[in-house]
Amino acid sequence: MNHAQGRGAEPSGAGRAGALTGIKVVDFGQMVSAPYCAKLFSDYGAEVVKVEPPHGDAARSIGPFPGDLPHREKSGLYFVNNTNKRGITCDVASTEGRELFLRLLRWADVLVENNLPRQMQAWGLTYPQLQQVNPGLVVISITPFGQTGPYAGWNGYDLNAFHLSGASSRYCGRPGEMPLEQGTFSADYYGAIAGAAWGLAAVYGRDLVGGGQQVDVSCAEAIAASFVGGQNIGLVAQEGRFDKRTGVGMPLGAPATIVPCKDGHVWMLALERGQWEGLCKVMGDPEWASLEIFNDMYVRAQNADIMYSFIQEWTAGHTKMEIMEKCQAAGCPITAVFTIAEAAEQPHLAARDYFVDIEHPDLGRVRNLGAPFKLPASPGGPVRPAPRLGQHNAEVYGELLGLGSGELASLRAGGII
Amino acid sequence: MNAVATNTPVPARTSGQLPLAGIRVVNFGWVWAGPVVGQTLAFLGAEVLKVESRQRLDMTRTLPPFAEGKPGPDRSLSNHACWAGNGSVALNLKEQEARDLAFDLIAHSDVVVENFGPGVMERLGFGYERLREVRPDVILFSMPAAGLYGPLEHVRTYGMSLTSLTGLDSLVGYKGGEPVPFENAFSDPLAGIFGAFAIITALNHRRNTGQGQHIDLSQQEAVMQLVAPAYMDYVLNGRVGGPKGNEHPLAAAAPHSVFPCRGDDRWISIAVRTDAEWAALVHAMGEPEWARAAAFATLQGRVAHIDALHRRLGEWTAQHDDRELAAQLQDHGVAAAPVLNVGDLLQDPQFAARNTFVEVDHPLGFRETIYGAYVKMSRSVPVVRPGPMLGQDNEHAFREVLGLGEERYRDLVERQIIY
Repeated sequence: MNHAQGRGAEPSGAGRAGALTGIKVVDFGQMVSAPYCAKLFSDYGAEVVKVEPPHGDAARSIGPFPGDLPHREKSGLYFVNNTNKRGITCDVASTEGRELFLRLLRWADVLVENNLPRQMQAWGLTYPQLQQVNPGLVVISITPFGQTGPYAGWNGYDLNAFHLSGASSRYCGRPGEMPLEQGTFSADYYGAIAGAAWGLAAVYGRDLVGGGQQVDVSCAEAIAASFVGGQNIGLVAQEGRFDKRTGVGMPLGAPATIVPCKDGHVWMLALERGQWEGLCKVMGDPEWASLEIFNDMYVRAQNADIMYSFIQEWTAGHTKMEIMEKCQAAGCPITAVFTIAEAAEQPHLAARDYFVDIEHPDLGRVRNLGAPFKLPASPGGPVRPAPRLGQHNAEVYGELLGLGSGELASLRAGGII
Repeated sequence: MNAVATNTPVPARTSGQLPLAGIRVVNFGWVWAGPVVGQTLAFLGAEVLKVESRQRLDMTRTLPPFAEGKPGPDRSLSNHACWAGNGSVALNLKEQEARDLAFDLIAHSDVVVENFGPGVMERLGFGYERLREVRPDVILFSMPAAGLYGPLEHVRTYGMSLTSLTGLDSLVGYKGGEPVPFENAFSDPLAGIFGAFAIITALNHRRNTGQGQHIDLSQQEAVMQLVAPAYMDYVLNGRVGGPKGNEHPLAAAAPHSVFPCRGDDRWISIAVRTDAEWAALVHAMGEPEWARAAAFATLQGRVAHIDALHRRLGEWTAQHDDRELAAQLQDHGVAAAPVLNVGDLLQDPQFAARNTFVEVDHPLGFRETIYGAYVKMSRSVPVVRPGPMLGQDNEHAFREVLGLGEERYRDLVERQIIY
């Protein structure tokens, strides 16, 4: 891979120009939300320059690292969220660094960032200040709580945002026990995807609307509204009633939950009559299944404890794949609960080329998740590895900002880059 | 409809203009994921016409609770929230004439959205190649559970269980315990918003090249992007993660959980990444002896002793009110926030200040609460109206867009083609 050619005009997939060719993006984010949002741009052909503080994106110190040995060029989290980008360093806290950063923003169409608003303020990089520098700039700001409102000044992470959304209290955990996040950075990812959709629209329609703007994503709000609110807010507003987590997939219909089997778990679902009959057939039409208390999904839910214990007697003797294959063939939407390893090794995903191998100078050849959706006319997905810290300083500062080698040397000496 | 505004000449620098104004979308999407695609595009200014029919009502139109407690296909509160932004045209697609009208609409549109299984659009006569005949640069967006092709292409899932195919479900649960099911289809709105992004990328490609295309968004693959951190640990170390409660996904913060507060089912989330944040938390607690133990002095130590750390911290938080404690901890710079239940959402000052939820007037005369623009833009402000009444945009679509005469239109309505 020739890194010197690493820019948007370069084919981003199977030799054809990416869909976002021509869009210039500065990624000034760390960890998950902004980097992933910017990756959605870079993986579909936009030219993305990642700007890191001189000590690097925090993800570089977090891993996962091969053998758990910390190394700033070997973080799996950094690797996976920064493909196809060029990387430079810049200390925006310094006067010279800030000036360089603003010059870069004059070149850009989009800035993606996930710093706390008070941090951007301290750097003198608020939206009104950026707008003055480049009125056409679309600034995608992704934070746990958002740019406005009483929590805008709060410190926060993915965990705080997710639990503010109502999602965990409503849908995730057992009653009486603590509500749960999903074991990943769900709020960060949700906010990143929302930011990408709204931010890309803002770029696409920039001339139509008369210029750039700030796209203010509150990760908590995006989930509270479009996920939790969609299903719950009408009821609570009208009747003051609301539900909480039950620990069961679906409390009012059954079977509809995760149950253990011989080698793990399956998502047991057989609500409609045909599905239930299919499941019964796969189980060998046991006598208990014809009892009146299991007649339809509602009475089965009322007798869920007995029913699940019968079902588990059967699932205990069968593997998840066996159960999934037989039940699917019988018309039941039952699926295996894949471990990460099983998900990673699925023949289906391999057949769809969902995984891509990328050569990385420090990690070697590493498998990566591919494009999240397929655009046949303009394929996307990771092709070039995440940049090493400051890898493209000379190239980007030289080509885009016209800095000479002398100037670069003095910036390096001054710790600006 | 926002679209009405797009047909009105607007001065170029009007600040209220929306970025996708002028884009028309025919949405065959149903239930939740497909309508969210349409909703997001509509919030951004596109005119979205959902195609549906009284002949086969979408089940979400019949979901309680209903406005004022009165059942009816135009009164489901969750339907109105999830579908807001979409318009609606009623076509009984069993009839050839209705299919012809749908084709005419597609010929006048930029994007077609659907969330059926693979092959269904072809069977309905709306396969990509057929669509291209009437609209050569059409963008067709499909979002089947596991994509348009591959060994699992016909896998049956519900939105709620689809996450099981991504590895995500295997990470959800109490530490060291079994997976706990996530009780609703997180993947539906997530994939819906993802779909809007995919469509705008394709619009950009069309602008660059004049070409349309058929987008294949596998919901499985879209959602699996969220497990990337655990996936990388598997790729790099062969490690297979499992449930770990609310601990940091990469063990890079401690404490990192929700902790009990005063009252029934009240909790506070607290996340501490840096030593400075830890020092601030210890200070906020009044420098208790246990917190000054050497074992907790470094992140490494806090992670290694996280169970003890969480137990101690929980004993302290349990004496406090969640909101007061969050505010107090924030004053010290600690990332802490109340854990809201659904009943808190309307009262929460942050969501109130951002108009996250809005009360709107429904044409049938009642008021209801839905959500508005779930992302805020400084220049473009979406128009937010409740999800559409079935067929509310018939006249606009068939008379204004397609230019049908009054008599012909009436006839199609009478014969339940437009139905």
